[in-house]
Amino acid sequence: MSAAGIYVHVPFCLTRCGYCDFNAYAGLDHLRPHYARALIAEAEAAAPDWAGEEMVSIFLGGGTPTTLDPLDLTGVLAHLRDRFEVVEDAEATIEANPDTVDREKLEALLAAGFDRLSMGAQSFDRAVLASLERIHSPDSVRTAFKAAREAGYQNVSLDLIYGADGESLESWERTVREAVALALEHVSAYALTIEPATPLGRKIAAGLVPPPDPDLQADMFALACDLFRDAGYRHYEVSNWAKPGYECLHNMGYWERRPYLGLGAGAHSYRDDHRWWNVRPPEEYMTLVGAGRRPTGGEEHLGPSDAFLEEVFLRLRTLEGIPASWVEPERAEPHLQGGLLSEAGGTLVPTERGMLLLNELVLSLTSASTPPVGLLNM
Amino acid sequence: MYQWPSGTNPARPYDRFAVTDIDRIRNFCIIAHIDHGKSTLADRVLELTHAVSDRDMRAQYLDKMDLERERGITIKAQAVRLAHTAHGHTHELNLIDTPGHVDFTYEVSRSLEACEGAILLVDAAQGIEAQTLANYHLARDAGLVIVPVVNKIDLPAADPESVARDLAELVGCAPDEVVRVSAKTGEGVPELLDVVIERVPPPQGDPSDPLRALIFDSMFDPYRGVIVYVRVADGTLASRARIRLMATKVETEAEEAGVMAPEATPVGKLEPGEVGYLVTGLKDVHHAKVGDTVTLAGKAGAKMPLPGYREPKPMVWSGLFPSEGGDYSELREALDKLKLSDSSLVYEPETSRALGFGFRCGFLGLLHMDIVRERLEREFGLELIATAPNVEFHVLRNHEISVVHNPSEMPQPGTYDQVKEPMVLATIIAPTEYLGQVMDLCQSRRGEQADMKYLTPERAEVHYVLPLAEIIFDFFDQLKSRTRGYASLDYEPFGYEPADLVRVDVLLHGEPVDSFSSVVHREKAYQYGKAMVERLRGLIPRQMFDVAIQATIGSRVIARETVKAKRKDVLAKCYGGDITRKRKLLEEQKKGKARMRRIGRVDVPQEAFIAALRVDQKAKS
Repeated sequence: MSAAGIYVHVPFCLTRCGYCDFNAYAGLDHLRPHYARALIAEAEAAAPDWAGEEMVSIFLGGGTPTTLDPLDLTGVLAHLRDRFEVVEDAEATIEANPDTVDREKLEALLAAGFDRLSMGAQSFDRAVLASLERIHSPDSVRTAFKAAREAGYQNVSLDLIYGADGESLESWERTVREAVALALEHVSAYALTIEPATPLGRKIAAGLVPPPDPDLQADMFALACDLFRDAGYRHYEVSNWAKPGYECLHNMGYWERRPYLGLGAGAHSYRDDHRWWNVRPPEEYMTLVGAGRRPTGGEEHLGPSDAFLEEVFLRLRTLEGIPASWVEPERAEPHLQGGLLSEAGGTLVPTERGMLLLNELVLSLTSASTPPVGLLNM
Repeated sequence: MYQWPSGTNPARPYDRFAVTDIDRIRNFCIIAHIDHGKSTLADRVLELTHAVSDRDMRAQYLDKMDLERERGITIKAQAVRLAHTAHGHTHELNLIDTPGHVDFTYEVSRSLEACEGAILLVDAAQGIEAQTLANYHLARDAGLVIVPVVNKIDLPAADPESVARDLAELVGCAPDEVVRVSAKTGEGVPELLDVVIERVPPPQGDPSDPLRALIFDSMFDPYRGVIVYVRVADGTLASRARIRLMATKVETEAEEAGVMAPEATPVGKLEPGEVGYLVTGLKDVHHAKVGDTVTLAGKAGAKMPLPGYREPKPMVWSGLFPSEGGDYSELREALDKLKLSDSSLVYEPETSRALGFGFRCGFLGLLHMDIVRERLEREFGLELIATAPNVEFHVLRNHEISVVHNPSEMPQPGTYDQVKEPMVLATIIAPTEYLGQVMDLCQSRRGEQADMKYLTPERAEVHYVLPLAEIIFDFFDQLKSRTRGYASLDYEPFGYEPADLVRVDVLLHGEPVDSFSSVVHREKAYQYGKAMVERLRGLIPRQMFDVAIQATIGSRVIARETVKAKRKDVLAKCYGGDITRKRKLLEEQKKGKARMRRIGRVDVPQEAFIAALRVDQKAKS
């Protein structure tokens, strides 16, 4: 069986950020103490289905997982290790917001087995943080990072966002340089994406805030590529950079289309071209699980052409690329010429320019939209 | 077409009209500016002459209608026969409808030809408007007796006395000869009918002369074929007679002659002065054209047709293309069907590199164009892209004239001797305070003032000779907005004039987009080209390469914009919970691409064509 992963969603946040469209809620404090119990109950019920599946990664994301009590987080992780076939050296990531962790808490999480820490820094520019409606300050990122190192974390990642209203190329450069200076193992840098159903999306629709300038974001992307490359990072996915050997195994699973079990409100699961997802409202999720029922809210079975499209667009996000045999040579050729693709050893890999134009690349490579024979047996 | 007023009962025994002495016939129409109350007056007249609100009769009317339906007759009441008693005698009144729009001036003139008199109806609050004048001149030129009438005397804002004075001056009568009515309340309408009988002369004609009957309207009935409305000038038109249509030279049998009384009522024959319908048995309206003369087939036929026949002549052209490639045959079928009932519509296949297969269609005017487009979309469920309307150009080369009605077929400058464009004589009536605005507009549209006169100290009538091309682009909208809606416009064809016209082409990445080509005056070419490329820059999505948008005259570039290459098109985040949604976004993007038209290497969305062609109109003002 292929190496699978477990994703655990914690839908609570201290405040909601204007740009975020994740399944996350502020003000559900009364549910928090009972949420871990629901996760454990759901895991318990799901475990038999996943018997024999080797779990190589666990990822606690959100929301803000560290809004839960460290004891709860420890308990959840211990339970997963107990009920699933989690390999010895499995990667266990926990996301944290700088304001929700201190050295003591981080030590507890590390001791519990969360050996990878992913922090939502977003920016080192106070104005950019304000524009993103983040409540923390650049200093609290520095403090939290220092605390993580002191607590013994040797695999730390920071999330950054570029292209917020008011952010200049110079400001972004300062943020990237500061991230580099921290000698992180891993960085995720995302172009700010406007989702219509968010407060920021509505402000932009109403003309109160300008939309991100895609050309400026392209410059920011190029700048990040240069600075991280110079600092020895490998640009292994569109928005992810890592020191060699520190690529996020769990996230790679999504792009390689390995199976994953999602636990928690709104979490998605995937196995063998079948994807299903839990109901989003935490209260509904907890009620269903508490009543001993599956919290599934929807599912889809992928047909051959859907599966092929996913295979191509997910793999092309990464340096893994796709076998050249999957696409007609005359479709790949213009992009090899145009510098969006490179080919090595029969594999087509996106260049950094190609990553930035990935949608166009995928569409032009797949517009025949019939999967090549043999792919489905892979 | 008349709408029967509710509560009236048009059903009357036909014999009330039987055997009318020609001296007791009055053929008349109502002419008016839009909204001056023509339909309301017609309703009142119908009520007066068929005033039956009795429930039995109502029921009978409905029964009759059902019967009609079973027989499959759907005849519009284009000419209604009414009875009115004056001076102790019952008279036969034929009220003939006239289209009320400038596009249909020729059709109006044919309807007028069927009458001896016209009620010239003017709103007591609005006064004389451009259509009032245009229709008055048409009616007077047709030799009709004009009965001036002021309507809406019940309105608080009415000024019947001053409007009556203006009207009296216009038609050359005494103000007290102007009839005052309220079509809404019915006040003055019975008296008006008496006046019509007194002033409008009876028709003349000899029933023993060779038959000549004027077709003043025609329609297509799905069950009975082509039905024409006729006015008999000479001779006798009898059911079952073998007839010939003199202009189209088509022979057929007069299946049924009848009158609208107001429902279709067969009569054995129609005699001079009478107005009625004729079921021809023909299957194509193009065989029975408005203005043609019906006579008898063979030796008994007339030698000379009635004067004034003219082939319908399209004034405005536009390319119609299915918005999705596969609908071409549906569009063809729809046009073929529409043509059965619209003898003025002409079309020919057109292949556009940008828009694919479609048709270049000729229309009588902008209203006609809108009607056809709307019918194609509503009745046939088609989605269409229409190119900007253009006029017909006459290109002179080596003493030969070629007619161009597609801008992309306009030859390049230097390859011809001269280009002529159609002109119109426009009549504009506006309050004097807006005269400056009106004149500015006309001047900016290459107009030349013919004359001007004050109708009253507050209102003036100006005549301009203008290129039709300038009128068909939002001229009326501009006129309305510059005069706060107070100006009225009418126009008539006024020949062809040489003009310094050039073809402006639009190129995308070096490829000409034929549907964006336009013929404009040289002095406006730069302004037009600039506006067009600027507009397109906002409509063409960024591609994988820089796209040059150029406006050219021949090989000379007069305006240029660039759509910069797209640099970023990627979903920043894509983790476990995002994949389904992102895949669907990609599929949407793929579908969007499939819907685009490819011009050379450039993908252009349908909306860009529609928006660019629409804004094209604004760009000209």
